[in-house]
Amino acid sequence: MISLDQVSKVYRTKTIETTALNNINLEVPKGEFLSIMGPSGCGKSTLLNIIGLLDEPSHGQVTIAGQQVQKYASKTTSRFRNEKLGFIFQSFHLIPDLRVIDNVELPLLYRNVSSKERRRLSEEALESVGLKNRMSHFPNQLSGGQKQRVAIARAIVGKPQIILADEPTGNLDSVMGNDVMDILLDLNKKGETTIVMVTHDENMARKTNRLVRLYDGSQIK
Amino acid sequence: MIGHILKLIWNKKGNNSLLIIEIFLSFLVLFAVLSYVIYNTDRLNLPTGFDTENRWLIYLDRNDKDMDSLANAQMRINLKNELLAMSNIESVGFSFSVSPYSNGTWSSSYDDLGFEIGSRFCKVDIDFEKTMNINVVKGRWFDETDINPTYEPMIVNEFFLNKYFPDVNMLDSIIPFGGDKKIIGVVDDYRYNGVFEEEQSTTFFFQPYTNKDAQIVYLKLSPGTPKSFEEDVSKTVESITKSTSFVIQDLQAMESRNSRQTWIPMIALLSISGFLCINVALGLFGVLWYNINNRRSEIGLRRALGASRPGIAAQFTGEVLVLTLLAIVIGVFFAIQVPLLKLIDIPQIIFYKSMAFSALIILVIVTICALYPSGQASRIQPAFALHED
Repeated sequence: MISLDQVSKVYRTKTIETTALNNINLEVPKGEFLSIMGPSGCGKSTLLNIIGLLDEPSHGQVTIAGQQVQKYASKTTSRFRNEKLGFIFQSFHLIPDLRVIDNVELPLLYRNVSSKERRRLSEEALESVGLKNRMSHFPNQLSGGQKQRVAIARAIVGKPQIILADEPTGNLDSVMGNDVMDILLDLNKKGETTIVMVTHDENMARKTNRLVRLYDGSQIK
Repeated sequence: MIGHILKLIWNKKGNNSLLIIEIFLSFLVLFAVLSYVIYNTDRLNLPTGFDTENRWLIYLDRNDKDMDSLANAQMRINLKNELLAMSNIESVGFSFSVSPYSNGTWSSSYDDLGFEIGSRFCKVDIDFEKTMNINVVKGRWFDETDINPTYEPMIVNEFFLNKYFPDVNMLDSIIPFGGDKKIIGVVDDYRYNGVFEEEQSTTFFFQPYTNKDAQIVYLKLSPGTPKSFEEDVSKTVESITKSTSFVIQDLQAMESRNSRQTWIPMIALLSISGFLCINVALGLFGVLWYNINNRRSEIGLRRALGASRPGIAAQFTGEVLVLTLLAIVIGVFFAIQVPLLKLIDIPQIIFYKSMAFSALIILVIVTICALYPSGQASRIQPAFALHED
């Protein structure tokens, strides 16, 4: 499903060159739940951004669902992200001025989906994370765990093949973190959704199918 | 997407209300100023009905009580002949004491026909027409046959006929207007109080130049007549009238002075509105810039969820345009009361025009102010924006 071939990322300024990723080779088959671990600044988020087409590699090939995505034009990249990928972030990134239901239907706004259908799919997604009764609330009326569940609903509403989660339990206590992890595991099992998760939490990482460790931008064998 | 933008605007109504009020007030100010400007400039292209170039006016001394009417008439005959004999004078006409740009008006109204007919009037002589190049569109100007007529002749402007006798051929008709008067001709117009003056019903009555009320002499000069010629005219008038209490004026200079009375406040108001628009533009620019910086993570999120760069720019421009349209709709609601309730007695179309222009100007300003910040928003890198929190 996801294939990274000798992927490197170098950030350059006038005076300094920083290697964020160095020759990463990674294969993630369909339906796998992969976790990526490593100390801060090791390149975990950069790797996730490259898989999520939010950033471009300096070298190497990225293939997702059999397509070499680096060659896409900006508009095609946007469409690909919208249709194939779902994102979950540590800080939730819910829009504070929109109600829960409107936050969830955001990915569908960028598709040709009628408002009625958007509503139906969003309610369905909220139900699957157990938050249908909170759909008229604003994000500031929710707890951290509820916010992350809304973010998960937003990530799955468009039925993507891949979910990229950047420290989804990082801002949550252990109980809420386990709740969120259970939802992700359920999604992976029942929906056969491929999940790549960046985490600092060894316990969460152990629950996934495979763990990849990074150190100073390189993969530890 | 429009529904989504409306939701965003509604949910942020507290923040947006100030922006809406600012645009709404700007719309009302622009509406008032543009109504005034359009009201005035609409008439710039209308004919005034006479020429001002190479025309001089002589205001004769009114203190000629020592002269009997016969002597007075003879003096005017001599004056006309002497002036006509001068090389640069092509024509000489006379009128009573109301001249163009004097801001004086004589008017009267009668209701003998069962409805009120009001008109301002001017008393002029036969040569007034060719001296001032009056445009007779129907019938004729005064001539020798009008000196002792059965019915006193009158010449009206088209506005007079359209107002009181629409769709009726009134030429050679007798109407009661302070006694029976015969309409012998129609002129296109005679807007003698300035290029910004509204059309009004105007009537000419005949007054031979030998009458002592013919106080103003009109000169049509040859093109290129030097200013120094005024001295020759002055000597001639002085020698014949035996008076130095007369004034010679250039009609074109009078017209300029008269127009300035309207142009100056108009330009001042337009300048104030211009500054207001610049302030609104700068304010909007600042607010948009601030909003976009505050919403960087939202922009990153939207890009991650599938919004294209043009889509982000369109959303931010769209949000401001929807806000602007809301403010304009509220503004139109108030502004439209002026023509609907006929609060001001000027052609109501002016208010509709100025509403349209005000809306257009505000939309253009807002669009220009929104484009750059929205473009910047679309260039925000999602990977960075999402990790700034």
